[in-house]
Amino acid sequence: MNSNSVEILLVEDSQDDVDLTLHTLRKENLANHIMIVRDGEEALDFLFCRGAFADRSFEHPPRLVLLDLKLPKVDGTEVLKQIKGHPRTRTIPVVILTSSKEERDLMNTYDLGANSFIQKPVDFDQFRKTVKQLGLYWLVTNQTPVTTSISMAARRTP
Amino acid sequence: MKTNREILIVDDNPADIDLACEALSQGSPPTHVSSVEDGVEAVAFLNRDGKYASARRPDLIVLDLNLPRKDGRTVLVEVKSDPNLRRTPIVVFSTSRAPHDIAGSFELGANSYVSKPGDLEGFLAAITSIERFWFHCARLPHEEEL
Amino acid sequence: MISAQSALPVVAAAPKAAGEKLSVLLVEDSASDVELTLNELRRGGFEVSFDVVQTAEDFASCLRSGSYDVVLTDYNLPQWTGIEALELLRQEGQDIPLILVSGALPDVTAVNCIKEGAGDYILKDRLARLPAAVRSALQKKKLRDDREHAQRDLAQKAEELARSNRELEQFAYVASHDLQEPLRMVAAYTQLLGEKYHGKLDEQADKYIGYAVDGAKRMQTLIQDLLAFSRVGRQKDAFSLTDTNAVVEQAVSNLTAAIGESGAIVKYDGLPVVVANASLLAQLFQNLIGNAIKFHGGTAPEIRVTAQKQAAEWVFAVTDNGIGIAPEYLDDIFVIFKRLHTRNEYPGNGIGLAICRKIVEQHGGRIWVTSQEGQGSTFKFSLPASEPYFQPGPNCEN
Repeated sequence: MNSNSVEILLVEDSQDDVDLTLHTLRKENLANHIMIVRDGEEALDFLFCRGAFADRSFEHPPRLVLLDLKLPKVDGTEVLKQIKGHPRTRTIPVVILTSSKEERDLMNTYDLGANSFIQKPVDFDQFRKTVKQLGLYWLVTNQTPVTTSISMAARRTP
Repeated sequence: MKTNREILIVDDNPADIDLACEALSQGSPPTHVSSVEDGVEAVAFLNRDGKYASARRPDLIVLDLNLPRKDGRTVLVEVKSDPNLRRTPIVVFSTSRAPHDIAGSFELGANSYVSKPGDLEGFLAAITSIERFWFHCARLPHEEEL
Repeated sequence: MISAQSALPVVAAAPKAAGEKLSVLLVEDSASDVELTLNELRRGGFEVSFDVVQTAEDFASCLRSGSYDVVLTDYNLPQWTGIEALELLRQEGQDIPLILVSGALPDVTAVNCIKEGAGDYILKDRLARLPAAVRSALQKKKLRDDREHAQRDLAQKAEELARSNRELEQFAYVASHDLQEPLRMVAAYTQLLGEKYHGKLDEQADKYIGYAVDGAKRMQTLIQDLLAFSRVGRQKDAFSLTDTNAVVEQAVSNLTAAIGESGAIVKYDGLPVVVANASLLAQLFQNLIGNAIKFHGGTAPEIRVTAQKQAAEWVFAVTDNGIGIAPEYLDDIFVIFKRLHTRNEYPGNGIGLAICRKIVEQHGGRIWVTSQEGQGSTFKFSLPASEPYFQPGPNCEN
């Protein structure tokens, strides 16, 4: 998968949650290109086109970032702050997807510019319903901002 | 927790406001809708100025872009730079599909951008989708307040 | 000028009929040479008015204040040469023919003068050539002027036409765009009325509301199509290398519903990369393939998209097995609003093919159709081929 054609960046360190989220999104035909990163540092490298992702381009951001708050290396709040603080990344929709029930996290993340905040349901079925609903809203209803015009330029290799 | 959600619709077209109400009346629990027709009234409502002194703080703002007096973009800027108001999610709801309007709205801090469909079914579905996500999936700030 | 004491032949004493008026600027320091030159001109049938100068300053000042048909200059003058006169003419921005009238000069100098822009070079002891040389130079100037005038005229007319077209397209765009909003209201609320009051009023009311809804929806489609039509060529559409396979894939994907409903099969193979506007090309294919699906006969539509290189063009073909087109309509169908069927038979407002033609023409190509009534049609269009030649993509089936 071309790292410039990622639709959803899932920032999540729990394998169970990753599996369930991926499964639901794929089942609902909501996204073909999902990139998973396991910590805040990797997430930032991806979005800021550096480190292991230095070949990525700012012109092809993901359509949606699903961001957990409790992450190793760099935590979700810091990641959010950086994304929303930089002109080249601040229009990327970031939806917090966390198990945290802290009121403080809720207020703080909206304050920092999170596009939305979703609490991960504990119940398996509810989790799936939530992922389906958020996928439908952010990938179908919501209009993703584009930085450049979409063109069907000659493909190099499929 | 509040069972009745409050939406503020900012749109200079009363027909579109009524259509949105039509869609929202199907929700459960039903959403309470307040509406204003221009940007000046919108900011006054949110600040509970003058005649809006007893206005309820909205859980969600649905904002058109092209408004008389003060347009939607200015409302976005003002609301998102006000520490008391900026957490409230704003969904821009506009007929414009112009990329610069979409990107521009996100630049100014809009939480989401939904294009107003040209057909009745699409319009109702869009409003329903907005209600479903923001009131039955996402968590909103200020939930515990009255 | 009549000189009773002139020893010159009578023909120089008075012009035969009204002589050609000629205004001459002479650059010459010898009075007798001036006389000889003027006489020769008069003998040649010219009615001459003239000024004589020797210095560059006087030359320039005469150029500024007078208006001359021709400049006759000696080569060797005190302090300056005939070539500098050419330079001065250029500086003053005057396109007046200059003829060198001089004593013997080395060939290379003479050739140089002509190269620099002198119209001709006449030897002082061969002055008889002068009138013919002047006439020739004047004729060349006239041709130059006429051509310039014609070019300016043409450019102006082209600009007027372009402006008129732009205004028309701007109007079509604005009108369509602004019509959408009130139309949206009419369409939505007639439909809402229909839904809310269905069965609650009488049958006639249901029917009337149905007509209103139908009309509004048709108007919406019409306006959208008009907008699409006026958008082609409105701004400078960006052209880039475009993989036609991807474009057709996009068009087919946009037609998923229609394809599903009709059981259509769309095949496309070996399509090239061309220089085009991808989104316009997608619209083009979507219209053509959409038509092929729409106008199907008894059997499920089978559509093939192919491309063939012919000289400097790619010729694309969209072939179907549908109802075909009668030969008398083959030229008409690209005309805007032209429909061949009633709305009960097939929906549509007759803009689709007009849009196709506009898009193809925007790309510098042509579009045409061949057809057998009852068997099917092939719509073909050409696009200029781009260099370098790319390998076509793999065979595809939807």
